Amino acid sequence: MHKILQRLSNAALAVWVTGAYLFLYVPLLVLVVFSFNKITFPYHWVGFSWHWYQELFVTSEIWEAAQNSLIVGASSVVLSVTFGLLFVVWSSRNNKHYLMGAFYPNLVVPEIVIAVGLLSFYIFFNVPLGLPSLIVGHTLLGLGYAIPIIYTRYNALDQRIIEASLDLGATDRQTFFKIVLPLLRSALVAAALLIFILSLDDFLIAFFCAGSSAQTLSLYIFAMIRSGVSPVVNALATLMLVVSSLLVMVFCSVKVKEDIW
Amino acid sequence: MKTIHLKDISKSFEGDVILDDFSLTVPAGKFFALLGPSGCGKTTVLRLIGGFETPDYGTIMLGDKNITKVPIYKRRISTVFQNYALFPHMNVFNNVAYSLQLKNLDKERIKERVLKVLRAVRLESHMYKSIKQLSGGQQQRVALARAITNEPDVLLLDEPLAALDLKLREQMLIELIDLQETLKTTFVYVTHDQTEALTVADQMAILNHDGKIEQIGTPQQIYEFPASSFVATFVGKMNLFKGTLQTAGESPCVDVPGLGLFQIYISARYQWMQEGAHVVMGMRPEKIWMEKKKEEKFSNVMAGTVEAIVYHGPATQYNVRLKNDQMVQVFEQNEEHFPKEKIDYDDHVYLHWQKENAFLLER
Amino acid sequence: MARRAKTVHSFFWGIPAFLWQTLFFYVPLCFLLATSFVKRVPSTKISHFSLEHYAALLDPIYMVILARSLTLAAITVCSCLLIAYPVAYFLALRVQRFKTILFALLILPFWTNFLLLVYAWYFLLENNGLINTMLLKFGFISAPIHMMNTYGAVCCGMLYCYLPFMLLPLYSTFERFDERLLEASRDLGATGWQTFTRVMLPLTLPGIKTGALLVFIPAFGEFVIPSLLGGDKSMYIGSVITHYFLTVRNVSLGSAFTCFSALFLIFFLFILFMAHALLNREQKNA
Repeated sequence: MHKILQRLSNAALAVWVTGAYLFLYVPLLVLVVFSFNKITFPYHWVGFSWHWYQELFVTSEIWEAAQNSLIVGASSVVLSVTFGLLFVVWSSRNNKHYLMGAFYPNLVVPEIVIAVGLLSFYIFFNVPLGLPSLIVGHTLLGLGYAIPIIYTRYNALDQRIIEASLDLGATDRQTFFKIVLPLLRSALVAAALLIFILSLDDFLIAFFCAGSSAQTLSLYIFAMIRSGVSPVVNALATLMLVVSSLLVMVFCSVKVKEDIW
Repeated sequence: MKTIHLKDISKSFEGDVILDDFSLTVPAGKFFALLGPSGCGKTTVLRLIGGFETPDYGTIMLGDKNITKVPIYKRRISTVFQNYALFPHMNVFNNVAYSLQLKNLDKERIKERVLKVLRAVRLESHMYKSIKQLSGGQQQRVALARAITNEPDVLLLDEPLAALDLKLREQMLIELIDLQETLKTTFVYVTHDQTEALTVADQMAILNHDGKIEQIGTPQQIYEFPASSFVATFVGKMNLFKGTLQTAGESPCVDVPGLGLFQIYISARYQWMQEGAHVVMGMRPEKIWMEKKKEEKFSNVMAGTVEAIVYHGPATQYNVRLKNDQMVQVFEQNEEHFPKEKIDYDDHVYLHWQKENAFLLER
Repeated sequence: MARRAKTVHSFFWGIPAFLWQTLFFYVPLCFLLATSFVKRVPSTKISHFSLEHYAALLDPIYMVILARSLTLAAITVCSCLLIAYPVAYFLALRVQRFKTILFALLILPFWTNFLLLVYAWYFLLENNGLINTMLLKFGFISAPIHMMNTYGAVCCGMLYCYLPFMLLPLYSTFERFDERLLEASRDLGATGWQTFTRVMLPLTLPGIKTGALLVFIPAFGEFVIPSLLGGDKSMYIGSVITHYFLTVRNVSLGSAFTCFSALFLIFFLFILFMAHALLNREQKNA
C-alpha cells in the first residue's frame, strides 16, 4: 500500500512539474512559431514565412528603440558596476559594512515609487526628460543588485592572498588590478548580465522618466500591444528571446564555475 | 644578510595585550625559530616583522634601517603563509614570477630566474601547471619558491608545514635547512611544534603564554639547559623534583623531601644560589639509566616500581612510581630485538643518573 | 586575527555610489513626501503647506482601489507559491543529470521582458486568439470563449510574470536543504504528509517568506498587467498614480496617493509581521 502511495505521489509530482514547465513555455513557443506564420488573421497556421522579420527590419522605430535601450542598458551597467565595486572595496576596507544597508531599499521599495519619486524630482528642478534621466533610474536599480553580489564575493576572498601580493612587493593599486579584480571577475560578470537584462526589460521607470521623446523597446512593445496584436511583435519577441537565452547561457556557465547565489 | 632588531614592542588587539615591552634580536643569516604555545603572540611577532601589523609602541630595525613605518610592499621581507596563499587564477610560473613581473624586468631574465628557483625546490617540471592540479606538498614548495625569487633579506615562515603529513614534513624540514644554508638568508620560522623547531633552528626563542621570552639559545642549550620550568616542561618531557639546596659539604646536593639527597652540578648561571635555597632539580627521561639491580658507578640513584609501559617504536617509556608517590618518566631505547633483561609491570627498579645530566632551576 | 591593509586615499572611492544613491534615491523620496503636502494657490506662484490632498484621499473609492490591489497581490502570491513550491523541490532535490539546463529554462522567463510575456497571453486568449481559433476549428465550441479582459486573464498573467520571483528563492532554499532530515523523519515513523508538515514546511519557511515578499511588494503596485489583460476596466494603485502624474499632471495629489499607498503597504506588512511574531511566541510558550 505504502509503495503504491509513494509511486502515486511521485507520479503526481512529475505531472505537476511538467505541467508547470509547459505552462511557462507553451505561450513562448507559440509566440515564436507564429512569428513565422504567413498571415496575421485568423490565428491558425498557414505556412512558413520570413515576412514579419522583414517588416521588423524595415521599421525604423524599432531600431531606434533598440538602440536607445542598448545605450541605456550599457550605461547603467558601466555606472552601477563601477560605482558598486568602488563602494564595496571602500566600505569593506574601512570596516563600514553597515553602509551597505543604504542600498537595500532599491530592491525592496516598489519600482513605481522610485519612478514617481524621480519624476517629481525632475519636474521640480526642470530637468528635461530623456535617456539620461532614464539611465539615472536604472543605475539606482543596478546599484541595488551589484553591491550585494560584489560584496559577497569580495568578502569571500582569502585575505592572505592579498597580503601575499603586498608582501611580494605589489602596491595596493597593483594588488587591486592584478589580484583582486581577476578574482572578482565572476561576480562582476554576473552583476553586469543581471543589470543589463533588468534595464532592457524595465518598463515602469521608462514609462515615467523617459519623457515623450525617448523611446525604448519596452515602451515600443507596450504601445504595440495597446494597438492590437501584430506578428511583427512576435518577430521582435522571438529575437529578444534569443538574446535572453544567450545571456542566460553565459550566466549559467559563470554560475557553474562559481556559486553566486 | 641583515640582523633584525625588535625594540620595546607593544601590540594590542581590541584591548587584548599580546606583546608588551617585547625585544628580540634575530641574528643575520641564521635559521631562527620562534617556539611557543598557541596564542602566545609568535605569529604577531612575525606579522610585525613582515609589516602586516604596526606596533603600538617600539621600533623594528632591519640592519641599520628603521622599518617600523615602512609599508609591506617596500620591505625586502617575504613571507611563506600557513595556507600558502597562492594566487588561484595564475599558474605556477606566474605565481613564482609575480614579484619580478611587478618590476617590469626583461622576460628572458624573469624566466631564467624562475627556472633557477623552481629547480631549487624541484618543481621545474610543473612550471605551467595550474595551482589546483598540485598536491599540498607541491603547493607548499611553490609558496616557498615564490617568496625567495626576489632575494629578500629575510624570509618569514608561518607554520608552513602544518598542513602536511608526517613524512612530507620531515622531508621538507631537511630541504628548508639546505635551502637556508645555500641562500644564507635570515629565516624566521614560527611554530608550536617543538620537534620542528629543534630540527631546523640555529637559534631559537621560547615564548610563554603572556608573550614574554623565556629563553633564547641554540636548540641544545634550550633542551639540555632550560632556563625555567616553563621551558623545561614545554620542550620535551621532563621530571621535576622540588627540594632545598645544600652547598655545605664536599659537593652540592639537593634535598628532596621523601627521597633523600642527590648530587647536583651547579652551572655558572646559578652560582649565586645559597644554602637552603628552594630549587627544582630536573632530569630528562632519556638521561636515566634503569636497572633491576643497583649499579654503583652512578652519582645518583632512586628506587621505584614500574606502573606503566608505553611502546613508542624506537624507545619505550616507563612510568615509575617512587616511594614518595611521585611518578617519574624513563625512556629506554629499544636497542635490541630480544633484550636479555625485560622489565615488566610492577617490577622493582633502580633509576640512576650522573649529576651532570640533571639541571637546576629556580623555584 | 586577520586585519585588512589600508590605503591612504581610499576615502574617495565610496563617494560616487553614495552620492548617487542619496541624490537620486533618498532625495527624490523626500521630495515625493514633501510635494504631497504642498498646495499651490491657483494662478499664482504661491505654495503653502496643506493636508488637502490627503483629505481628498479619504474618499472610500481609494480604499476600494487599495483593497483591489491588495487582493490581486495576495492571489498572485498564493498561486505562485502553489505552483513554485513543488517545482523548486523537484528541481533541487530530485533531479541530478539535467539540473543546469532545467534551471536555465526556469530562469529564462525571468530574463525576458515581461511585456512580451503578457503579449504571449494576449495572443493566446484573445477572441481571435490561438486557443479560441483552435477550439473553434476542432469543433469543441461553437462561439469564442470570452477569456480576454477578465479577472481570470489578469490572474493568469500575474502568475506567469511573477512565478520566477517565487521560484528562485525557493530553489535556493531547497538547494541548501538537508535531505537526511526527511530520511530521519521517515525513519522515526512519520508518514509522508507528517514529514512534509513537520519537517519540510517549517524549514523552508524562510524561503517561502522571501519569495512571498519578492512577489507581494511589486505585485501590489502592478497596473500594467491588469490594464493590458483586464481591459482597463478597473483602477489599480498604479493606474491611479499614472493618471495623476502623467494624464492630469497633478503632481501633488499623485505624490500624496503614492505616499498613502506606501504607508498602507508598510502598515499591512507590519500587521503581518506582528501576527508572525505573536504566532512564534505562542509556539514557544506552548
